[in-house]
Amino acid sequence: MSVSLGAVGRRCAHRSPALVAAIATLVLFYTSLPVLALSPEAVEQRVQTITDALRCPTCQAISVKDSEAGFSVEIRDKVKRMVEEGQTDDQIKSYFVSRYGEWILRYPSPKGVGLIVWVLPIAALVGAGAAIGWMIVRRGKKAHSGSDRTSAVQPLTPEQRERVTAALKTYEEED
Amino acid sequence: MSVQITPLPAPAAPAGQSMFKSWKFWSVMAVLAGLVALFSYGFTKDPKLVPSPLVGLAAPPFSVDQINGTGHADLASLKGTPFILNFWASWCMACQDEAAILEAAHRQYELNGHQIRVIGVAIQDTPDKALGFAKHFGKTYFLGLDDAQGDISLSYGLYGVPETFFVDGNGRIAFKQIGPVTKDVIDEQVAKLTATTKAGS
Repeated sequence: MSVSLGAVGRRCAHRSPALVAAIATLVLFYTSLPVLALSPEAVEQRVQTITDALRCPTCQAISVKDSEAGFSVEIRDKVKRMVEEGQTDDQIKSYFVSRYGEWILRYPSPKGVGLIVWVLPIAALVGAGAAIGWMIVRRGKKAHSGSDRTSAVQPLTPEQRERVTAALKTYEEED
Repeated sequence: MSVQITPLPAPAAPAGQSMFKSWKFWSVMAVLAGLVALFSYGFTKDPKLVPSPLVGLAAPPFSVDQINGTGHADLASLKGTPFILNFWASWCMACQDEAAILEAAHRQYELNGHQIRVIGVAIQDTPDKALGFAKHFGKTYFLGLDDAQGDISLSYGLYGVPETFFVDGNGRIAFKQIGPVTKDVIDEQVAKLTATTKAGS
């Protein structure tokens, strides 16, 4: 590689430094492509990630990654070939969506009906949190104002205290 | 020994019927009713019947040789002729049920009527087993075999066999049958296919 780069460099050096830089960049870019190509481990890693997001067409309840069904094996091979061809995760997933529908995705995309499964849990959490917060605030206010008879902690009025003391005394005497 | 204990005024207990006036009661009931409605709708649907996104769209290209080596079929050469594309396998029990029905359709609409083609593609199968099945169940129409990678199966979004696609003369998938086809389905779909093909030509 360095030989061809050197030759290009020498030939062009007296013309324009910018041209040399441009050609050097291009040469470097193309010669480094095989280096950028994914290692078998990296391919396997991506195949695992993608097939984990795809639903096994036969068994339905588990991912393509975890299934040994015929279709899952074929899909894994196909995904591997697509990764090696240089397709992106999104391109590969949308290929399978175009054939099987959104159904094939184990994590529905946040669009249309699929939005519900993403938004609903968050909305429920926020709603429940707000409801609990509101209840706590309300309970605190009522206890403070003393208007809530059901509230657990309420100071006795002197009159009530007297009656309780009297009653207790009676029971003690009976013992 | 008597001590006069005047009872404290009792806390205002909710009256018996007030449950039905409480907004809390009704909101819980509304949520429950919603869930019941959702589940009862869900249980009426068979999770195996997933509508194909391909229906209404152009049929994915395919190219397949007849297993017995006597012919070839591909999407391009079928242009102008509606066809039934049936995916099956020798290991598939339900495919036994529909074998005679497809063969009858082949005789009625292909050999006699010249209206459509019937093409069977065996998937995840071997030539020997597929041919053995065809002989045993008297299939005489075009039978091909998907490649080892399952390219045709995946491009048609199969998730089981049998599945049957009805493709019109313009190469558009008009209907997909999941599970074994019946004579009624074939008769109805072939009538539609020939009608749209005539209208289109």
